[in-house]
Amino acid sequence: MTFYAGPVILGFLMGFIMGSRIKFNPESGLNFTTGSYILIIIAALVAAYLIGPFPYYIDVPLASGFLSAIVGIFIGKVVLGRDIKDDNDNNTE
Amino acid sequence: MSTILKIFIFPAALIISCLGVNTILGGHITPGGGFQGGAIIAGAFIFGAVIYGLKDTPIKFSHDFMARMESAGALAYVFLGLAGLIFSGFYLYNLGVDLYGIIPEFIKTIFDYPDPINAGIIPYLNFVVGIKVMVGLSAVVIAFLGFKKEFDDEEDLEEIE
Repeated sequence: MTFYAGPVILGFLMGFIMGSRIKFNPESGLNFTTGSYILIIIAALVAAYLIGPFPYYIDVPLASGFLSAIVGIFIGKVVLGRDIKDDNDNNTE
Repeated sequence: MSTILKIFIFPAALIISCLGVNTILGGHITPGGGFQGGAIIAGAFIFGAVIYGLKDTPIKFSHDFMARMESAGALAYVFLGLAGLIFSGFYLYNLGVDLYGIIPEFIKTIFDYPDPINAGIIPYLNFVVGIKVMVGLSAVVIAFLGFKKEFDDEEDLEEIE
C-alpha cells in the first residue's frame, strides 16, 4: 500500500499552528466539553470521507490533509493552546 | 449574539480551517492554492471574531504571532527562490522536478514533495503563501474590529458629555 507523506506532514503542521492559537477566555462563559470535541472529530471524519482524496491519490479514500489538519489542531491545542488565565500573552489587544 | 451561534461557530470554525488546509495542500492538482486556502482559514478566524468578539474569541491571533508568521512565510518563499538560484542559476527554479536536468540528484530528492504528482517545490510555496495570507487577512479584520471598538467608545464619551 502506498503512503503519501506530503499532505499528512504539511496538514499536521498547519493544523498545529492553528491549534496552538486556540485559547479560551474564562470570562467569556464558553464551555466546550469532551463530548463536543468528539463530535467535531466525527464531523471531520465524515467531511473528509465526503471530500475524498485528491486526484491521483490512491492511498486512502479520505482527504488525508483534512484529517491530519484536525489532528494537528487538537494536538496543538493540547500542547501549546493554554487558556488565557495561564498565559501572559495578551492576545488581539 | 445568540446562544445557537455561540455554540455552533467554534466547531464550524475548526472544520472550515481544515477545509482551508485541504485547499492549500491541493493547490498543485486542484483549483485552489495558498491564497484561497489562507483566505478560507482567515474566514474561520473572522467567523469567530465577529460572533464572539475580539476579546472572547477562542481562536486568538496575537500581534507577535502574526508578525512571526508573516515574516516566516515571506522568508521561506524567498529562501526557496534563492535555493533555486544557488543550485541551478534560476530564481524559484523547481528543484524537486528539475526539468532541465542540471542539479544533483540528492538536491532533487530533498526538495521533492512526497506525493504521486512529484510537484517539487510548488506545494511548499503554496504552504508558505497560505500562512502569509491567513495572518494578513486576519490582521485586517482585527484592525477593523479594534477601530470599531475605539469609535464606539468615542461615541459613548460624546453622549455622556
